[in-house]
Amino acid sequence: MQKFFSNRKLVIIVVCLIISLGLMTLSVTVRNRKGSPNLIQQFGNDITGFADRVVSVPMNGISGGFVAVKNLVNTYQENEKLKSKVEQLTQTQVKDQVLEKENSQLKRQLQIGNTLTSYDKINAAVITRTPSSWTSQIIINKGSAAGIKKNMPVIAGAGLIGSVVEVNKTNSKVVLISNTSENSNRFAVQLINSQNKTVNGIITSYDENANEVVMGNITAKMSIKKGDKVTTSGLGGVIPKGIYIGKVAKVAQDDYGLAKKVYVKPAADLHDIEAVSVAVRQ
Amino acid sequence: MRRRIPVAAVFAIGLFIFFFLDGSISQVCSGLLYAAPNSLVPYLTVLWLVLTDFFTNSRKLHLLMWAAVIGFIFDMYYVGILGVYVFVFPLVIYLGQGIYETMPRNFLSGFLVYFIDITLTIGLDFLANVFIGQVEPSATIFLVNTLAPTLAINLLFFAVLYFPIESLYLKYRRRG
Repeated sequence: MQKFFSNRKLVIIVVCLIISLGLMTLSVTVRNRKGSPNLIQQFGNDITGFADRVVSVPMNGISGGFVAVKNLVNTYQENEKLKSKVEQLTQTQVKDQVLEKENSQLKRQLQIGNTLTSYDKINAAVITRTPSSWTSQIIINKGSAAGIKKNMPVIAGAGLIGSVVEVNKTNSKVVLISNTSENSNRFAVQLINSQNKTVNGIITSYDENANEVVMGNITAKMSIKKGDKVTTSGLGGVIPKGIYIGKVAKVAQDDYGLAKKVYVKPAADLHDIEAVSVAVRQ
Repeated sequence: MRRRIPVAAVFAIGLFIFFFLDGSISQVCSGLLYAAPNSLVPYLTVLWLVLTDFFTNSRKLHLLMWAAVIGFIFDMYYVGILGVYVFVFPLVIYLGQGIYETMPRNFLSGFLVYFIDITLTIGLDFLANVFIGQVEPSATIFLVNTLAPTLAINLLFFAVLYFPIESLYLKYRRRG
């Protein structure tokens, strides 16, 4: 330890620092520009992904067991509550079916192909999560072999949870909407208020303490109320229209008092994601 | 008759198991560990590397090289940004070795070394993330919401796993 800053060690440290900064810059650039990382990285990720299943499958199994026991305790109460909802749901479902059919007929008549709302789903399981406090990122077990591409939106349970940020052959990384970084993906979203008017906007940030995503830069004068539903708008990029994000929790002015800031409570539970589906626009 | 397993094999298998456990624990307990605004990040990989350094002949095992390898895989597989842990892990282990050599070999000095190691790991990771614009450079976010809770959970892991891993290595070292 006495000769810690001897010449040789100092040189090694400086060289390592330069290589480190270089590698970081390179990978950020690749992440921002290209669809998938270089072949060596992809290959390594695929191998690691396979090996990871040895550990993650039993771990997820154990947690699944706990959840099952917890569910069993709550079953009765939940059953009572759900019974009342089921009838309502069937009605909506039937109506939905009829409308969908009508919609496709009308599309055919008007000779419109696929619109922004049509998308397919690729189902995937979550292998693991990045152990880091600064990146909310999960790794799923489907990759480019299954047709996943970069920037595709990812849905879990009730709504949108994030988008694909890196694609390998057999697994891919998904950045969650709870990621606070400035350069993470922005979603084009819209809000339909009680008067059936549409307000367009972009998700600009995430409020960690309240677990709410912030839809910013809204200059429209339309009234926005608590409880209005927010969905993706399908404008720009590969994200289809009509993926549910959540309900409005709070409306505030931005820092300069010029535009509105809408706080949206995500419908999906971002801390309990086991299976996801990736939406592919047709 | 038990078969003889070399220490190196025990180390390598353990390294990968602990590496994958980091991610799996994060995934399974994400509601607990990453409940806003605090985040408790498990660093079991560092724990395994540090304890291996304490209980085995780390020079013979090429521990620093292994630390770099697992750091590289960590960067590639978990984070997707290369060049952070590949240097942080060996550096932390190297400094830990230096400090541990000057102290009596017992649980408490190990505890102290691990405390320093984890602080360094999180600190350097934070710097790297500030550099790439992933996180805003805020002292409160770093100290209160990340460093303190992460240290707490990792020192807990250390206290729980110190003696089991010691006896595991003792067993294999005696026979191997």
